[in-house]
Parts: sequence; C-alpha cells; structure tokens
Amino acid sequence: MQSSVGVCSSSSSNWLFRFSAAAAPLLPSSLTFPISKSSSSSLITLSTPSLISSPLRSTASASAADSSHLTEMASNDAQDPRLPRISSAIRVIPDFPKPGIMFQDITTLLLDTKAFKDTIDLFVERYRDQNISVVAGVEARGFIFGPPIALAIGAKFVPMRKPNKLPGEVISEEYSLEYGTDKMEMHVGAVQAGDRALVIDDLIATGGTLCAAIKLLERVGAQVVECACVIELPELKGREKLTGKPLFVLVKGA
Amino acid sequence: MSAYRDEDEDPRLHGIKTKIRVVPHFPKSGIMFQDITTLLLDPKAFKDTIDLFVERYKGKNINVVAGIEARGFIFGPPIALAIGAKFVPLRKPKKLPGKVISQEYILEYGRDCLEMHVGAVEAGERALVVDDLIATGGTLCAAMDLLERVGAEVVECACVIELPELKGRERLNGKPLYVLVEYLEV
Repeated sequence: MQSSVGVCSSSSSNWLFRFSAAAAPLLPSSLTFPISKSSSSSLITLSTPSLISSPLRSTASASAADSSHLTEMASNDAQDPRLPRISSAIRVIPDFPKPGIMFQDITTLLLDTKAFKDTIDLFVERYRDQNISVVAGVEARGFIFGPPIALAIGAKFVPMRKPNKLPGEVISEEYSLEYGTDKMEMHVGAVQAGDRALVIDDLIATGGTLCAAIKLLERVGAQVVECACVIELPELKGREKLTGKPLFVLVKGA
Repeated sequence: MSAYRDEDEDPRLHGIKTKIRVVPHFPKSGIMFQDITTLLLDPKAFKDTIDLFVERYKGKNINVVAGIEARGFIFGPPIALAIGAKFVPLRKPKKLPGKVISQEYILEYGRDCLEMHVGAVEAGERALVVDDLIATGGTLCAAMDLLERVGAEVVECACVIELPELKGRERLNGKPLYVLVEYLEV
C-alpha cells in the first residue's frame, strides 16, 4: 500500500501523520456514493456555511455565459473537500446480512486515519457552538462516532443499548423491525429535562432506531436538536420518521 | 465494602475513580458490575481518561487500536484519533460484513467468539487492545490472538478498570497490561 506523509492543517491541530494515498478499501466498492446533498437543517445556523455539505446549490441554475456568477456560486456551493475521501472510504458489501441488502461498511473508513478524523471534524464543526449537552450514540456503531464528537464539544456521552446490557435502572422503547420488534434502552438519570441532545449513528435506513432514540430522550424531557449520521439511504425515507427532527448526514447511498 | 486501590496519584485518577458506578448483582447474583457509563456523563473525567491513555501511547508508533465490542468502541476510537492510529473493531460473531477471521474463547459457562476483518491489520503493525475492563482476561486474550495471527505486534493491552483478583493479567501471555483503576473487594 502506498503511503505518504502529509501535514493536516485543521482548526484543531497541526500534526504530522501518515495516511494511505488511496483509502485502500478492502474490496472494491460496487457503488459510488453521490456527494451529500442533505436537506437543510434550519434549526442550526452556521457561522461559516461553506464548511459543511448543506445544499447551497440553488435550483435555479445560472446560464453558462454568466461565468462570474457561476464562479461565485461554485465557491459558495463547494462541497466540503473532505467529503469525497470519506465517501470513497466506505465499503459496500452486497447481500449482507441477507440477499438483496447492500451493506454500508464504515470499518474501512476507520482504517483511514485522515478520513475518520475528517468525519468527526465535520460533525464537531457543526455542533460545537450549539450548546449541546448530550450526545446519544446508538449501539454499537454509534459508539464509535459519538464519543469523539462528545469529547470535542464538551457534552456527555449516553449509550443507547440493546436490552439487558445497561446495568441498573433503565427506560425502554420498543420499535418495529421488518419482522418483529426490538427494544432500545437508556439509563434513568443519564439525561435531564432541558438537556440539548444529538442522536448519533453510523447510518439511517428506515429510521426506526433513530426514532426510538428520539423518543427515549424526549420522554425524559430532553430536546433533540438533530440526528446525525455518516450515511443516509434516502430511498428508505428514514428522514420522514424522525417526528420532525432534523437530520444531518455526510454522504448518501444510492 | 469495596475500595479502589490508590496508585501513584496522577491527580486526574481520583476524579475518574469516583465516577465509576458499581451495580451489585448484575448481570447475575454475586457480580459487582463496574459501570463506566457514569464516567461518560462527566465530560472532564471522560476526557481525562482518554488523555491518560493518549499521553502514554502518543509517539510510540502505534499503528492500530483494536477495540472490543461494545465498550471498547467507546474508548478506542478517541485514543486512535488522537495518536493517529487506525481503529479496528473486534466484534461478536456475524456482525462484521465480508471476510473475517475468528477466535474462540472460553467463558465461565460455554464459549464465545471474537471476529476481526481480514485485511484490517497487516503484518508488522504495532497494536493496542482496548476495552473498558479486564476480568478473567479471556476476551483480551482472544483479541491478542487475532492480532498476532495476522502478524501484528501487540504492544500493550489497555483498560480503564482491572479486577486483579480474577488474575486476568496472568492470562495475557506476557503482554503488558496498563489500567487506570483497580477494583478490589475489601
């Protein structure tokens, strides 16, 4: 594997690190992700809108002759330059866990130190000035992305778990699966009324899991500010199941 | 009664120790469960926990942080990010998609299995294994086996909590173990 040494300049640090020249996914991706065009999340005002992949692309396209206008549009519309590498670091595994499902594997993203750091940075930049007091991460892959975000923004991290994993008093929320139901649990006392919360998971599909997490937080009086995922599968319309809560994602899977 | 043993005292350790909640008789009678979720509710104590590991491993050329499902997923990634290492999840069976290698290990009653992705770790890479707690050492041992089978060098195992009476340290085939807090039944 080719590797090179680069200097990453980010707002948080300037340190030398090694990274793979190509993200070297373990298997070739069978799908390329379209770059994120997430719907706007109007609850959160961004001080530097160009930082994130919110769609600043206007639907009224300027004429080709108007190049100066296009140039200006391009700089405002620029996708965050970190996104393509993040997108290509995600591996798609066909027919897992069962035939017909194209599984979005983020473990290859975690092997790319720059892409993983950029993923976290993109969320941190969005939320650090939003007075978030709780980051709730959904077991188990939400445990990978949630804590680094929580640490960087000074919020509590609260694990949302499958049944019988959390010791002591819990509250539970049942939710539907394709066949049957499952349950999500949160510790009593972890979150207080008035806490401003994010819900984090690696991916939103149907939205059932995120919905259960939102409900648990709201039952104890927290305010769910936004749900944040690395990947969205828009065809499954999970965004509509979030009881009106905004959703922010970095990449969308076709 | 129970006590946390005082070590050399990095001043941050006291704050960390007091944030760990002991829940009696979970998951079954007789077990004093060490609950780290209360630590995660204290941003300073959680940050101090990560900082203590990062200070130890930064600049030591660690290429891989392997975290054991699920609570190792909470501590491993922040450490990996801070020291510039890959994060590799070690998971229960059938969770990882694609090609995996498996390592079986013995439980008190029965067996369990830990899996790692083929290709995630390369021969010669220097690895840490991270989990919230070491008890008997069975899980950590399986994790080390997986890494060594692909030719990685396990530099150290790192846990927040050790239960020294269960002698897990001795099961690690001579690999060093670093913990922040020891829990003793007094």
